[in-house]
Amino acid sequence: MKIRLSHADGRPLYVQIMDAVRSGLVRGTLRPQDPLPSVRDLSSSLRVNPRTVSQAYAALERDGVVQVRHGKGTFVAPGVRPEEKERPRLAREVARRALADASRSGLALPDLMTALRELDRDSHGDGRKEDGR
Amino acid sequence: MTDTVTATLPIDLGSGPFAVTTRGLARRFGSVRALDGLDLQVPEGAVYVLVGPNGAGKSTLIRTLMGLVRYQAGAVSVLGRDPGDRGAEVRSGIGYVPEDYRVGYAWMTVGRLLEHQAVYHPSWDAEYARELRARYDIDPGRKCHTLSKGQSRRVQLVLALAHRPPLLLLDEPTDGLDHVVRDETLSILSEHLADSPTTVVISTHRVYEVEPLVDHVGVLSEGRLLGQLPRDELRGGLLRYWADVPEGWTGPGELGGRVVRRSGAARAIEWTVWGDRDAVTRGLSQAGAAVREVAPLSVDEAAVALLSGRKAS
Repeated sequence: MKIRLSHADGRPLYVQIMDAVRSGLVRGTLRPQDPLPSVRDLSSSLRVNPRTVSQAYAALERDGVVQVRHGKGTFVAPGVRPEEKERPRLAREVARRALADASRSGLALPDLMTALRELDRDSHGDGRKEDGR
Repeated sequence: MTDTVTATLPIDLGSGPFAVTTRGLARRFGSVRALDGLDLQVPEGAVYVLVGPNGAGKSTLIRTLMGLVRYQAGAVSVLGRDPGDRGAEVRSGIGYVPEDYRVGYAWMTVGRLLEHQAVYHPSWDAEYARELRARYDIDPGRKCHTLSKGQSRRVQLVLALAHRPPLLLLDEPTDGLDHVVRDETLSILSEHLADSPTTVVISTHRVYEVEPLVDHVGVLSEGRLLGQLPRDELRGGLLRYWADVPEGWTGPGELGGRVVRRSGAARAIEWTVWGDRDAVTRGLSQAGAAVREVAPLSVDEAAVALLSGRKAS
């Protein structure tokens, strides 16, 4: 599981970890029953407080995305349906950030929609471009 | 155009339990008030970062908690004991990285120094000490006086961590370390927190480095705290508001928050305000400002806002 945290991001770190897990589910790099890294390993690789990782895992468990199996670790929940729940949720989050960014620049929704459609048309057939970032 | 307003954030963290507290702590050096009525509260299990300019009293405070500096007024409790009269006992429960780089005795080898510490601390974890020594690439055959700053720092970190103390007092722990070793140190600290129940107090000028590890923040200036609160409360309560305002705008009469710092140009303001986000946004809007963005501050930015507000007062 690849996670990149941004400290300039307005989202708290535990939310960024939650979004990274959701994004893994949407892309298919994380599947039902897959193990997540241990709290110790993930906090060590991200250089964050282990409690932040625990907080993210606990919130994901409340949302039904992961299951904590005592003594075994944390796993993606067997019944998770990324297409129904995680995808729209992640899309809303990305849209919310885009809207906030637009508003900061003094732009309104129609400006943003027009630019998005044009960009999408320009890059047609290469829709995965954004993934390479 | 920057204009600053005095403001103090909350400093009361409630009823504990606390690993460290001071009440009205004071210490003067000649005419300088190094600590001036300081009420520190470090909750058990917290990772508490102490921020402040040079001379704010950070190192004096840490040395007082260690029982290395005598305080002149107030009360101190470290792990339930007063370091003023039970210094040695208090120190045995603390992993300390001092501001000073010198370690051990000049003629002593690093290996001998580590053995020496192992005897002093019954909880010394020899296997962990070996692991840390290997990760830090420390040569046990080196004489202490031949160590560079960065090498001394690494030895000091091993000495502080390897007995898995209930309290770590780290005074500029990454000072003198190169980028790779600094990064390795942060990873080591994350793992240490996952493996051992520990309270940590870190004093540093590189707050951005340790920010992801930190859950409590204290901002120190001239021997006093300007704010002491959980990181999440700082993130939620101290916000920067960007707004477009009419020419000649003078601001709202009632804001529902406390302005820590005002800046911006004639028609666009950038205010740092401590208060409820919705109430402050409403206050600005009702006064005719079009709020464009509201964003939390990094600990660094928050400290700068608070300290520059202090300076202007």
